[in-house]
Amino acid sequence: MIKRAGAKQAAIGRRDFLRYSAAGLAGSAALGRAGSALAQSRPLEFYIWSAAVDLVKSHITGFEQKTGLKVNLSTAPWAQYRETLVTKFVGGAPLDALWVSDTWLPEWAEAGWLAPVGEFAQLTKYNADVEDFCVQSMTYNRQQYGITYYSDWMGFLYNEEILAKAGIAKPPETWDELTEQALKIKQAGLSQFPVLMSLAHETWLIEFMSAMVFSQGGRFTDDKGAAVMADPEKGAVKALSWVVDAVQKHKIVSPACVETGELAGLKAFGSGQFAFGLIPKFRVRTLNDPAQSQIPGKVKLMLMPRGAKGSHATVGWMRFYGLTAQARKDKARTAEAVQLMEWFGGKAENDYRFQKMLFIDVGAAFGVKSLFQDPDMRKAYQAFGDVDLIAKQQSLAMKKDVITPWFGEWNDVNGPAWQAAIVGKSTPQEALKRSADKWNELKKNA
Amino acid sequence: MTDDRVDSPSVVRRLSSVVWLPYDPRTAWLFLLPVMAVLAVVTVFPIVYSLYISFFSVKLTRPLRQPFVGFDNYLQVVQEELFWVAVSRTVIFTLVSVVAITVIALLIALLLDQAFRGRRLLGALLLVPWAIPSVANGLMWKWIYESHYGALNGLLLQVGAIDHALAWLGDPAKTLLLIANAFIWKEVPLATILILVTMKSIPADLYKAATVDGANRLQRFLHVTLPALKPGFMLVIVFMAMVAIRQFDLIFILTEGGPAYASHVMSWQIYVETFRNLSFGTGAALSYILAIATFALAYFIIRALGQRL
Repeated sequence: MIKRAGAKQAAIGRRDFLRYSAAGLAGSAALGRAGSALAQSRPLEFYIWSAAVDLVKSHITGFEQKTGLKVNLSTAPWAQYRETLVTKFVGGAPLDALWVSDTWLPEWAEAGWLAPVGEFAQLTKYNADVEDFCVQSMTYNRQQYGITYYSDWMGFLYNEEILAKAGIAKPPETWDELTEQALKIKQAGLSQFPVLMSLAHETWLIEFMSAMVFSQGGRFTDDKGAAVMADPEKGAVKALSWVVDAVQKHKIVSPACVETGELAGLKAFGSGQFAFGLIPKFRVRTLNDPAQSQIPGKVKLMLMPRGAKGSHATVGWMRFYGLTAQARKDKARTAEAVQLMEWFGGKAENDYRFQKMLFIDVGAAFGVKSLFQDPDMRKAYQAFGDVDLIAKQQSLAMKKDVITPWFGEWNDVNGPAWQAAIVGKSTPQEALKRSADKWNELKKNA
Repeated sequence: MTDDRVDSPSVVRRLSSVVWLPYDPRTAWLFLLPVMAVLAVVTVFPIVYSLYISFFSVKLTRPLRQPFVGFDNYLQVVQEELFWVAVSRTVIFTLVSVVAITVIALLIALLLDQAFRGRRLLGALLLVPWAIPSVANGLMWKWIYESHYGALNGLLLQVGAIDHALAWLGDPAKTLLLIANAFIWKEVPLATILILVTMKSIPADLYKAATVDGANRLQRFLHVTLPALKPGFMLVIVFMAMVAIRQFDLIFILTEGGPAYASHVMSWQIYVETFRNLSFGTGAALSYILAIATFALAYFIIRALGQRL
């Protein structure tokens, strides 16, 4: 850093010299920080999608004051984030740290755009305090690529009032019990389609599918990455068969589920038409908010129903702070970017400050286990229901097992295949065979 | 038309004789040059470059390996089953849309050609769907078709036409037709204007002569109006076919190609291949196939209708 500052010496005038000299007298801690600022050749380029932008900006301000480093924040909408970033990577635009979705990790890591962070103890020291599925979701080819931004999981919700009216004392434990209770509610005329499923072909679809498959004790792929989704014993066939029966035979799930996206599903559940719903857990807060829901206070979380050979497992997802390979080429810039990543994803002044702000202000959940014991967080979590139940379900969340460089191409076959079975154009077995065949083809060509 | 056709260069010469600037074709080219340079950069170059990359295996996530593959991209995409699914969906969507737009526009144009009170107001209201941006149009129809809380189910339930909410876009048998309906709603105004303008240009003498010959209203429509409307029909059919074939906005907003490929049209496949899979080589090849098919169709329609003009 000294060398880089010295390289610019010729351009430094008398006034600059006096100003820098004065800064140098401002105490040892400040000296170190100011030294970083002087050495910074250009601001850190930090890219995020357009979420909680004000919170991020305020936390950046704290970082800049603390370190003297400057940060340029840029944003892109979530829907165009991947395309925007890929274009920037290919075009060589300056990027140092950024938000990354677990879904893009293999693609970006294979392309050489992200740098592993395993060698930075400053970041990896937090792993012990983070849920396993979170660390796994940031890991590709045994290399860790980031530090947690936020994580959440697919939850199973129920409308307490509808269950009470149907004389149901407690929510179902298994998928079979769910069918029984839904039929009871339907027969009582309390709901036309008691179970909400949002299975439109959009980015959320894989999370909905994975939650059902995992809770049936199933997998899409085995530990070696081979397709097992078409194996009747692995749970995917059972999960899809349950949905097909629920739509076609029992009529407890609307056939419109294939056109219902996550957001439309949220609005529909909030209108009070449904008794049960497979919905991202962070939505419980919205659904119990009188300003945003017609059923405030009535929406409760339960453990995922389990299959005959399954558990209450669900799927978790992860968004994290990544370091670009471009930044990694420069030692000083790497150090600065890692410092920024820790400030956001780890502790800032001995506190998970940003994660707490994110959760309390906007409800974005965390993967840090110790935060479940934090009094402020427990208090804020009351809006979601039973904190211990939430912690238990979170501990059962699993990483998506289909996240590969070819995930997108496979998903464009898998999604429609599931939908074809649901609308009666194929059997669940045929649908999952088509899905498995595509997986094998892509894996072979990779 | 040919007798009183204006000779543009002679007009310019006459005009230039009264102003300080002498007429010089080279001056005209000089003024056009900046625009042509911009067009070359933003239009010609992308067209040529996309043709170029359609012969390479270009995948953005594999930036260092982009070998020349000749026509392999073209062969690869036409060998995929999904390509032919997309072709069939595109043909159905285009046929349904263009026929419906032409017929509805003709009927409305016939109505607006009559003298009646409120005709001007009706003409102005007709333009509203056309003035709505495509994305807003898509979002509006998404809300109308939504199965849980949408306006269509709400209306049908209120008037007692149905006793429970129906799945609209979620029913593969209906999906493409419902998207076509949203497309037709937006495009009918323009088609109506084009046909109405043609209708207004039909000489009144033809109707008088037909009436003298004893033709009734239907015969005058069949033997005078319809033949005289052929230029308008040609314009509407060619233009709407080209717009329908390339329709993307509604597919993107309403269904994303689903459910179960029910609305997987060519433009959607190009989007998926290019921007989701980031396979720019095969995406460009698909785009060129669509462009060539569109030009061929336009040529065929112009030839077929133009010969009879």
